[in-house]
Amino acid sequence: MADYDRRGPGGGSSNNPKKRRYRDDDDHDRRGPRRKYDAPPHVRVRKQLVAIAENPMRPWHDEVQSIATLFTDSWEDELLRSNFVDLVLQLAVEQPLKTPFVAAVILLANTARPEVVDMLLAKLAPLIEDKIAAGEWREVKLYLKLLACLQGCLEGDGVFPVLEELFARAVDLQTASSEDTIGTEIVKIILLTLPYVMVAAPGQWAQKAADLMEKTEIIASEPHTLQALVEPYHPESGEENPLQSQSLIGLLQSQLQNEANNQWALSCLPRPWEFPPGEVEQQSKLENAEKHALPAITIPEMVIAGPRPLFPEIFLSVYANQDVESVPPLTDAASSLIRDALLDTINVLHINRNITARHLIDLDCYFAPRTFAARATPFDKLRDIEPPKSTWKPEDVAVDAVFSQLFQLPNPEQKLVYYHSVLTEACKLAPAAIAPSLGRAIRYLYRNSSRLDLELSSRFMDWFAHHLSNFGFTWKWTEWVDDVYLPDAHPRKAFIAGALDKEIRLSFAQRIKNTLPDPYKELISPEKEQDLPGFKFSNDDLPFAAEGREIAGLLKRKAPDEEIEAVIQRIQSQAIDQEMDALVASTDVFVTCVLHVGSKSLSHVLAAIERTKDRLTDAGAASDAARTQIISATMAYWSAHPGVALCIIEKLLNYSILTPQTVIGWALVARTGNTRGEALSTSYVYEMVFNTVVKVTGRVRQLVSRPPTLPADVDEAETRDREIAAMRALFAGIEDALSVWARPGSGGDGDGDELVPRWAERWLRVFKRRAAIEEAFLVEAEKDRARKELELEAARNGGADAEMDAEVS
Amino acid sequence: MRGPRATIERLDQPSAYFNNRNKRRRYDKDQRDGDDDDINMQSDQPEEDPLKDATTLYVGNLSFYTTEEQVYELFSKCGEIKRLVMGLDRFNKTPCGFCFVEYYTHQDALDCMKYIGGTKLDERIIRTDLDPGFTEGRQYGRGKSGGQVRDEYREDYDEGRGGVGRAVQSARMREREGREYNDDIARMK
Repeated sequence: MADYDRRGPGGGSSNNPKKRRYRDDDDHDRRGPRRKYDAPPHVRVRKQLVAIAENPMRPWHDEVQSIATLFTDSWEDELLRSNFVDLVLQLAVEQPLKTPFVAAVILLANTARPEVVDMLLAKLAPLIEDKIAAGEWREVKLYLKLLACLQGCLEGDGVFPVLEELFARAVDLQTASSEDTIGTEIVKIILLTLPYVMVAAPGQWAQKAADLMEKTEIIASEPHTLQALVEPYHPESGEENPLQSQSLIGLLQSQLQNEANNQWALSCLPRPWEFPPGEVEQQSKLENAEKHALPAITIPEMVIAGPRPLFPEIFLSVYANQDVESVPPLTDAASSLIRDALLDTINVLHINRNITARHLIDLDCYFAPRTFAARATPFDKLRDIEPPKSTWKPEDVAVDAVFSQLFQLPNPEQKLVYYHSVLTEACKLAPAAIAPSLGRAIRYLYRNSSRLDLELSSRFMDWFAHHLSNFGFTWKWTEWVDDVYLPDAHPRKAFIAGALDKEIRLSFAQRIKNTLPDPYKELISPEKEQDLPGFKFSNDDLPFAAEGREIAGLLKRKAPDEEIEAVIQRIQSQAIDQEMDALVASTDVFVTCVLHVGSKSLSHVLAAIERTKDRLTDAGAASDAARTQIISATMAYWSAHPGVALCIIEKLLNYSILTPQTVIGWALVARTGNTRGEALSTSYVYEMVFNTVVKVTGRVRQLVSRPPTLPADVDEAETRDREIAAMRALFAGIEDALSVWARPGSGGDGDGDELVPRWAERWLRVFKRRAAIEEAFLVEAEKDRARKELELEAARNGGADAEMDAEVS
Repeated sequence: MRGPRATIERLDQPSAYFNNRNKRRRYDKDQRDGDDDDINMQSDQPEEDPLKDATTLYVGNLSFYTTEEQVYELFSKCGEIKRLVMGLDRFNKTPCGFCFVEYYTHQDALDCMKYIGGTKLDERIIRTDLDPGFTEGRQYGRGKSGGQVRDEYREDYDEGRGGVGRAVQSARMREREGREYNDDIARMK
């Protein structure tokens, strides 16, 4: 219970000093029963407006009318008047599903107090301007949506001049560069705003809309040059029906064209400003209400990409190609419009995943009645629904939207774990409705796991294990039982193995084993059930066993380094006698001993590494082979628990005992070589390389984003250039190593033969994309730094003049 | 503050526990082992917010058997972990159901509040709270018998946290040799 009890400062009672004084004196609430009183209008309006449309039992026109009346009746309340407009603007960007309803309140308020629209526009117009200038495109879109819903009470052409002006910028950008993404984003915003204008002022703007869409056609229908980079599927060559993804704006353009041909029916959008036929009077009042001029919105000549890097977007659905349509088809504008509203909701509400989940479960409250089938209709029952009625399952539409973010390339807006948490909460709120939808999504993704981009496959696996960990690790494993007998390098078998490993990491082997049907149990080796790995030097048959035990003993009693050195010397001379690589031999013994001494927990091993880091650094610095041996020894010691090994390797990278190149070399040359390429199918090998790349690119990003100084910091520039060069070398190294395995027939004998080159191809695609994205980031960062340097220069010149003036006087 | 009050509550705010700690003379302790005593009142934000750049989280309601590795696996989803300090029984030096997770950045800690607090680890709903930072000594339980205070007098049976509260338990112990308890300890070893 206390888990959910988080009250922020400034919330609740904190603005009432009286209450607090009582409480300081003692814990007991002495105020007695709460007095019944009617909250003041500004409180009631706020409460009702914030919760607008949440109650499915209340007719929209009724609710909207009552809020508007409450507001206009209390017009004299100054607090209410000033807060109201701000709240409307806030809701537009904080709870975007409610925008049409909030707009309806404004439209109705306009019939009694037309001033309110002017007050709103006076704030909304400059806000849109600011957001455009800052490149905050989502906010631009959300404010434009609000404005579009108000089209009915705007003078002249209303929103159209703004959209046209925006379009002019998009054209400039697109003509200047084929790789431009801002222009694409602007066109997307225009196309997503248009439908709201059309429902807000039906019948009037068909010609304007047609003119605008004729112009957007060229940009929207042309495939973007960067689209291949973010394609979620990676079809095998020669595949018969490769899943073809479509760009979001391409789809949108053709869907809206359909709508235009259909008199802009837009049947999914809510029209809370429409009154039932019985209330003609209200409706005509609304139509005859005062019109307002939209203050000028100036759009800067140069628009910028803003804080979030823009990429072309692709429409992804995990419910594609079903025999019954459980989500809107791609031909229907509803697919894009509902998706867009949900994505904004999801990404904006990252501050409270419980509310996100609530909005997703309640999504049918925010769209036109009869857009969806009844909540929690089982998929099989959709077949029985008679044609004019909708078969769209609200749960499928919600889950689909979350998955589209989880599988967004190159990266979704929020951390992946946020989308995990949204699905978890949705499942907790409405298990009977959501769980079956998730099940079908999982099956779809599992079936397609070989065609999915490898980075996305890995995200899927990670989510799957994490999700199950929140629900008692229950999954119908029986349905995949045949796949247990597939070769290890088969993508589906690799998924099973990887997912089980992740489950075990979040739990423990025995627990997971108990959730599995018998055939799967073979996949969990007995070593995984032991809490501590065995110490190989307990076995006297192994070379250097005695020395190993001796070093372990010395480490345990924290003996001085000289004593360890003596044993190391002995190992090295014996190794030379046996014609072994002396450095490799002694490194293997030493590292194994450090791990053994620290085997009890990560804290123990980190403390052990901390104590021996000089020796480890020296060992690693001695030769490439010795450095690689550090990883080999770690992976061997923790072979049953690769998660622990990966964690240790990450820390060794932090200590610079290992270099990123060592990791790549171990994973893609040594390990992949020893397994005839099959290591490429092992999820933790991918994870190790991926994490290392993320670490390196993260550091480079940090370095290049540092604000410039005056005079320019020479050391910093040097570090920056060195790290950039190292990053490029790392990517090149990965590509070289993988190319070897991508050749047909590169794998071992048997079934692995065709599988290995395919894995290598999938790996290559991931890391080539990563490289391309980092290069793009560097270009942008370079531009940014040049601009800031100029600013600094200018400021210094100005400042120096001022200083001189001061000295003279 | 962050401007006007949002229309939705944020999950990345410190809990009432922290806000009240400084205020309450009666519980005048500088250390916390994270017991969620039921303190419900609100208080002023201190002038200089000690959590403004907090990178550490207190994590509570863990099972005694949850390992560091499990904590790492889950909490790394919000960013690289800089340090993890397991909460230990003051006397036995065995895990007693809480830990401190330190990230490299404040943002990672906030994200952890939003995305991991209130979800399950090792099949228990865990709680997270922003924390001004770990100091030596805080890794130990402050309860009389060495664990967390909440595990002293707890009457409900919680398998993951040593059954019923320690004080309650010692009373019952004599009659009923704690067989399950020992089995559980064996699993942890």
